[in-house]
Amino acid sequence: MTTYATIEDIENCMENGWTDGLPVIPPYGSLVDEMLDAMGWQGQDIIGEIPSQNIVVRAEKAAATAVMAGCKLEYGRLLRAVTEGLLDPLLNISGAEVTTGGASILVIVSGPAVEELGFEHSTNALGANCRANATVGRFAQMMRYFCGRGGGVLESHGTIGHPGRISFCIAEHPETAWGPYHTQFGLPEDASAITLMSTEGPNSINNHYAETGALILDTIGDAMCHYGQTAWYYRSGGFVVVIPPDHMDLVSKEFSREQALDYIYKNARRQTDDLIAMGRIAKSPIEFAQVVPGEMRSPLKSPEQLTFIECGADGGRFSALIPRWAGSTHTVCKQIV
Amino acid sequence: MTQTSNTGPGRNSSTPPAQQLTSCGDVSCELLVDPIPRPTPDPIKITLKPKVPTVTFLDHNKPNSKLIMTYAQEILRERGVEVKDQILVKADASVRMPEAMLQSLSQEGGLVLCGISD
Repeated sequence: MTTYATIEDIENCMENGWTDGLPVIPPYGSLVDEMLDAMGWQGQDIIGEIPSQNIVVRAEKAAATAVMAGCKLEYGRLLRAVTEGLLDPLLNISGAEVTTGGASILVIVSGPAVEELGFEHSTNALGANCRANATVGRFAQMMRYFCGRGGGVLESHGTIGHPGRISFCIAEHPETAWGPYHTQFGLPEDASAITLMSTEGPNSINNHYAETGALILDTIGDAMCHYGQTAWYYRSGGFVVVIPPDHMDLVSKEFSREQALDYIYKNARRQTDDLIAMGRIAKSPIEFAQVVPGEMRSPLKSPEQLTFIECGADGGRFSALIPRWAGSTHTVCKQIV
Repeated sequence: MTQTSNTGPGRNSSTPPAQQLTSCGDVSCELLVDPIPRPTPDPIKITLKPKVPTVTFLDHNKPNSKLIMTYAQEILRERGVEVKDQILVKADASVRMPEAMLQSLSQEGGLVLCGISD
């Protein structure tokens, strides 16, 4: 029988906890060194800390993870921005890892880097069978998994989780009606950027027969308002709306981005008393939840908690709604330099 | 071929990941780069047996936590257990408690009851 040494190394990584559940590229030192160069770091550089777990993260950990996820060296600058974002304390990576909410880290790529690095932004945009999307998304989840559990000794408590905990990376169309996604976070239009946040899985929104943009936004708003949305109580996270071209053609004829945000914020509401009766509001609400019995309640605390990304293929009147994790109070948006 | 330093066949998900793996060819071996940052020192220390029979309550700010804590306070009092009147509150359920609160609780000689919600 022929022995394939690399296959044995892969199996051994998996048998010993160096995996996200899928086979990995073994983190050979020579490959990790090349990835470090691509990311612009030395192996022992301290690139972040997770104080709640007494963890200092050095660059070689991120580079090893990038190798294991199957990332190409040419993704190096993007991966550096993703790594810095993942280790930004505001993202709360360890919280996302261990929560009962089963959150993933969503990576959004926007700007010229989408085409330069070969990200899929059209067909099956939320689950593209494309190396760039799959491996960069996987890298982010592996970092969450490897860095968020106290060196592997803490347990995750996700009740059901979702498939994005393996990989979740969306790329935006290079040409957009409302400007690049990252402009919603103050970056210049011509920049390439990554945006990170912790999220639940996407909800599909179907409307094939509406003839106005307002009806499309009403349909999206209705999806935000089902009883089961996590957002009803804390309202700390918000939502990402994914709009493909067929829906966007209708919406952009009637609304600017700001107008669409405002329209959904004002119209997508539900009676607070019904939410209380359904058990979606705590019996003793905390002040942060701002519960006002008798009033119509938005699942958003403010319009800024809603963002839009334009991606997906022609030929189907679908959109999608990605609810953010309840503990996800911050979005991290970084320019790729 | 890889060799491992601290685990063998039959690993389950509660076993910590290996800290070192080596890939060996025909003539030499190479260390694989450990991708997992480790805590220094250990992430947490827990005293399992309280020194004094007192219960301190910490509401971690999840739904109904305070309601349940208050109820637990009443029941324990009825049973003759000494409980503290004040229920401490952690500002945000999703993030670590402030260092000062952590240090204060670490000095408690009694039982600290926290993190209850529905």
